[in-house]
Amino acid sequence: MNLLMVILLAVFLGIMAVVGFLAWRHRIMLKLGLRNIPRRPAQTALIIVGSMLSAVIIAASFTTGDTLSSSIRNASIEGLGTIDEILTPSRGAQDFGPVYVDESRFDALQRQLADFDAIDGMTPYIAETAPALNLRASLSEGQARIVAPDPTTLEGFGQFTLLSGQPYPLQNMPSGSALVNEEAREDLDAQPGDTLRLFLQDGFVDLRVEGVVENGGLAGVDPTILMPLSAAQQVFEKQGQISTIAVSNRGGVTDGVHLSREVSTKLRVLFADRQIAEELKNLLDEPQVLTLLEEREDSLSGERQNEMAVLRRELTQPAVTDELVRVLSDETIQSQTLDALGDADLAQLEEEADTLFRNLSEMNVFAVKRYFLDLSDQAASGITALFILLGLFSVGVGILLVFLIFVMLAAARRTEMGMARAVGARQSHLVQMFIFEGTAYNLVAAALGVAVGLGVGYLIAAVTNQILGGTGEDFEFAYSVELRSAVVAYCIGMIITFATVAVSAYRVSRMNIVEAVRGLPETVAVSQEGTFTQRLMGVLKAAVRPVLFLISAIKHLFNRRFGGAIRDLAFAALWLLIQPLWLADVAVALVKFVWPYVLRGWLTVLLGLILMLGGAGPWNQAAPFSIGASMIIVGVGLILRLAMSRWPSLAPLPGLLILTGGAALLIFGIATVSVVDIITAAVLVVIGVAMTPPGWSRRGELRPEFIDRLAFTLMGVLTLALWVLPIATLEPVTGVLDSSTEMFFVSGVIMVAAAVWSLMYNADLLLKTLAFVTSGIGKLRPVLVIAVAYPMSAKFRTGLTLAMFALVIFTLIVMSILSDAFSNTLADTDSVTGHWDVEMTVNSSNPINNIQESLSGVDELPPSTFDAVGGFVTAPVVARQADADSPRWKQFSLQAADDAYLDATQYTFHIIAEGYGPTEEEVWQALRDNPNLAVVGYFAIGDSGQEEFGASTTSFRVEGVSVEDETMTPVTVEILEPQTNARVDYTVIGVLDLVADNAGSMIVNKQTIDDALPFPVPVTTYRFRTAPDVDAKETSRALEASFLEHGAEAETLKEVIDEQVAVNSAFNNLLTGFMGMGLIVGVAALGVISLRAVVERRQQVGVLRAIGYRRGMIQLSFLVEASFVSLLGVAIGVALGAILSFNLVDAIRDQLPGLQFSMPWLEIGIIIAIAYVFAMLTTYLPARQAARIHPAEALRYE
Amino acid sequence: MNGNDYIISATDVFKTYATGRVHVQALRGIDLHVNQGEMVAIMGPSGCGKTTLLNCLSGLDSTDSGQIFVEKMQLHTLPDDERSDYRAQRMGFIFQLYNLLPVLTSVENVEMPLLVSGVGSQEARQRSLQMLETVGLAEWAQHLPAELSGGQRQRVTIARALVNNPAIIWADEPTGDLDSETTQDIMDLLLSLNRENRQTFVLVTHSREVGEMCHRIVRMRDGQIVDDGREA
Repeated sequence: MNLLMVILLAVFLGIMAVVGFLAWRHRIMLKLGLRNIPRRPAQTALIIVGSMLSAVIIAASFTTGDTLSSSIRNASIEGLGTIDEILTPSRGAQDFGPVYVDESRFDALQRQLADFDAIDGMTPYIAETAPALNLRASLSEGQARIVAPDPTTLEGFGQFTLLSGQPYPLQNMPSGSALVNEEAREDLDAQPGDTLRLFLQDGFVDLRVEGVVENGGLAGVDPTILMPLSAAQQVFEKQGQISTIAVSNRGGVTDGVHLSREVSTKLRVLFADRQIAEELKNLLDEPQVLTLLEEREDSLSGERQNEMAVLRRELTQPAVTDELVRVLSDETIQSQTLDALGDADLAQLEEEADTLFRNLSEMNVFAVKRYFLDLSDQAASGITALFILLGLFSVGVGILLVFLIFVMLAAARRTEMGMARAVGARQSHLVQMFIFEGTAYNLVAAALGVAVGLGVGYLIAAVTNQILGGTGEDFEFAYSVELRSAVVAYCIGMIITFATVAVSAYRVSRMNIVEAVRGLPETVAVSQEGTFTQRLMGVLKAAVRPVLFLISAIKHLFNRRFGGAIRDLAFAALWLLIQPLWLADVAVALVKFVWPYVLRGWLTVLLGLILMLGGAGPWNQAAPFSIGASMIIVGVGLILRLAMSRWPSLAPLPGLLILTGGAALLIFGIATVSVVDIITAAVLVVIGVAMTPPGWSRRGELRPEFIDRLAFTLMGVLTLALWVLPIATLEPVTGVLDSSTEMFFVSGVIMVAAAVWSLMYNADLLLKTLAFVTSGIGKLRPVLVIAVAYPMSAKFRTGLTLAMFALVIFTLIVMSILSDAFSNTLADTDSVTGHWDVEMTVNSSNPINNIQESLSGVDELPPSTFDAVGGFVTAPVVARQADADSPRWKQFSLQAADDAYLDATQYTFHIIAEGYGPTEEEVWQALRDNPNLAVVGYFAIGDSGQEEFGASTTSFRVEGVSVEDETMTPVTVEILEPQTNARVDYTVIGVLDLVADNAGSMIVNKQTIDDALPFPVPVTTYRFRTAPDVDAKETSRALEASFLEHGAEAETLKEVIDEQVAVNSAFNNLLTGFMGMGLIVGVAALGVISLRAVVERRQQVGVLRAIGYRRGMIQLSFLVEASFVSLLGVAIGVALGAILSFNLVDAIRDQLPGLQFSMPWLEIGIIIAIAYVFAMLTTYLPARQAARIHPAEALRYE
Repeated sequence: MNGNDYIISATDVFKTYATGRVHVQALRGIDLHVNQGEMVAIMGPSGCGKTTLLNCLSGLDSTDSGQIFVEKMQLHTLPDDERSDYRAQRMGFIFQLYNLLPVLTSVENVEMPLLVSGVGSQEARQRSLQMLETVGLAEWAQHLPAELSGGQRQRVTIARALVNNPAIIWADEPTGDLDSETTQDIMDLLLSLNRENRQTFVLVTHSREVGEMCHRIVRMRDGQIVDDGREA
């Protein structure tokens, strides 16, 4: 980020230096450029508003990242206090409760580290959880944390501080007492003197509350009860044992983290078995493995990538280094290494490495603070990237607006510029004039944009806090901005708009002087493409540009023109120092070289063909395929355009081509019963039929406009049809192509461009339709005729504005339809929960032995309350598939359910194995009857795309079953309980639907676990189906109260889901709102256009007033004109957004049954209303201004 | 005297323009009376107030003092909307710079006053086409102004001015931008229309030839009428 800032600042300052130099050299052009700014304040304001959007989006994105990063940092620093590392016995704390080691290990460690000064404190402690009940307040906490450090080793961690500010020496605590932290006080209403009852496996123990201490450090941020180590050893019957060691690095709360790498290395080296490390080195220091690790490294980012690089480097050292031991002991690096081996089918190597990794270290060293700080950085860059991605459309339309503004300004000043050229100004002078003016706008716009962006970031933080507040989450977004974010946003915003201004300035400065002076219509300078040799020379010159600058500088020196010499030297330095500039120069020359062939069509077809074949072939990517196909269509259109101008009899061909395409698609659509295909085909046939006869009848004499119309309609219509088609339509030809978010952007841009393009070339049809529709409206008609005729006559301007509006609306519509569809899938609560109503978890150290028996003792919950009661225990295990390509143990989650649960659960299945089912009940029954059967969640199958939903890539997945499959062959999965090494083989006979709330795990019969493990496994989660007329909420309260001593925490599942839906939709609305900022641009564009229109049409307004138009009619015609453009843009955006969403929903439905396409009309209505109302508000003032034009003055005005 | 005896009657009309700190007395006590069916040319050097007088008489511009009656009505006392309606129904305008709407075809330009007057679109189209035929441009009905010559554009303007059969046609330098041959054509057209329909024409012109073709020449200088062209 710092490097990025430096680069951007350098580019920004470079631009400013060049502009400043040019301004100094051509002060008259500077004056001419700048004098336009104060002339029309309203227009200047709108230009600035339109130009600042890039900076707004980027500043808001970075601010949100900063806020998230600083919030996580603060929370982790606050929570961890001076703790930097946590040491736990290896492979411990994974299964049922913590793993203990002898206290003497700590003493030994102290001796081993006696000379190591990077650590200023270490304390051994017991960390357990147990249900706690405040007897006075009758409040309980099911998962209270019990932390019991050795009071004699707390140096380096500070004393526990009571809320009164007094330190509390733990060694003085009377026996049978405890401290509670602020969180526990809140949950249990614990006050000094209260008695807390801790429920243990074999009874309970009462503790007197001595005081309440501040959160943080060993006291943590979760509800925690603190006592001396010796007391806890007694309570938990772990005399002379500890479960954890906390380490504090030298330095304070924040700076200790800098020593984390050094401390981790030291500790890991101490705990590691060097012999095993040596074996691992020998195993992995192979060229093949090193290549795999390098590939893996490339796929990672941040700290993980660095650590992988360290591993590769250290593996190639002659001997085992401490640094190698450190990275080998890192669990993340271990799993990445194993994955790399597994993915390359090196099963044996992988298994050997796995065994060695397991035995490498005695204790696990977790650099906890470093981890959270890295996490905060990752989260920040992730969220920044997300917001920038969402804002890309807005940035894009912002660029269009700047371009539009300059085209309009140039049109307004055409005569003036023509005269300037006539009296000797060069084209470059005009470019400079616009650049000076544009730079002035940009400097202000980017600054304002950053300020607004910071405000938007604040708003995002506030809204997020409100959403999180509703969920009861403690985490809070603390608004924070880093200076570098503001600088980066300013520079990027400035550079983007500057580049647009520069391109626009170049474009508008090209003019025919006579046409400009006489105000004649512009004829595009076709002859400017240059000869082959000229263009080739252009490329060669660009390739050696710095040398040419130097030669020119030397020439200037000879002629004693020092200004020119300095300028050329500066340019040479600029080209050499900022090489992308040189590359861009060469790229522009290359594009100019090939452009004539692109325009003639054949090169477009060729490039399109390469992209299309590459997309369908080696790259297997949808985006290049579809873009290539579109280029072929455009290329064919261009070739036809040329051909028609030479052989007019070809005029019917475009219509016939569309007709043929439509007919072919119709046959295909009918064969595959695809509604979208059939409708698209029907539209194509109609257009083809409509286009062919005019082409035939006019084939004798074709006017250029008619040729353009035929050719461009062909390109627009067929391109649009291509992108409108569902993904599945082309799959028989292309196979399944990969695509991701970029397709959303690409399809949005291309669909909108094609639609606007087709519409603009057939504007007269729209006019005729409107004329027909409005023929009976009487006095409104003259208003409508004018309101539509003006925008349709300025095709480029209107097309750009339409595209801006349509693009923004398109993104908003897709967002709202998709989020609505996804929310609706959760609306069917029963599919999500398996038809259960209430879930209750109990503490594993104090489970309920027999739920039915226990319930019968609860008066408030008579047997009639429940239709069904079942339970399960969730256990982290490792799993592998015997017949997989590379069978390897991977982490997995097991839900071992009791018979009652299996009897009553009603989850539905995505796939049922051959020989089982066919009904859901039969599958569940099979699981109950045959304990070695299992079903897995949707995300447990290989191609379910779970990474997109945030699941870990290192988890176990069933191979050989695809989400596309209708059925499956039963698959054998081996499960290993790592603590006891107990193994069970299961046969997977079904895959649950995606919406099921246990999508990542495997459900088995608990009987198998009970049989396999040497100790009893308690049920920790109960689910209840309440009788139809029973209030689930009341029931959950009653359950919690009745099973207090088991640490029961109950909730109604519907509420949980509703809350999740509410949070999802709130976040979606937030993101939609963010994307909606693009609307500002669309609205500003309309404002600018209206303001310009008032100036340009002043005299025409005078004529209209003279022939009897009332003031109101003039005002109305301006408003209707803006309405026409904005509503047409809205209509295009809504239609295309709905079509794309329909296709997306249709494609995703295969994986997510229950996903239904529906139009969220209310939301769409709100979006349209906001867009329209703001468009009207911006146009109102110019419209009023136009209405007040005095006819006599306007007619006199020249 | 009141306006009852003339279709246009102006008495003691004054008009001053304020452009920044400079005040220009454009009209200084104008008295002018025009009979129905009369074709009057207003002539005079540049800046003498001809166009201002035309604008004030037609109600496009306001006056500082004095009275103007058009068809027995004092236009400047009417609200703006009623004045607009009156212009749409009873007046036609021809300007030197044609002032056609560039985005509309010839026929659409011509039918504008009819549509504004509330005439149905079919009837408006029919009458406009007829009018274009009258001015000899039937074949050019669907062309945009940019595709027409200067004389053709002025004919479209004339068609637009006459299509709603107005009582008065105001023409500001109707031939100012045309060559002599086209000028003669246009004037022949205006004269024949004046003869056939008994419509009143008030023309502002620099051209002596054009003025001499009219029934009467009103001469102005420095915001005053120096000769109203009537027999003494």
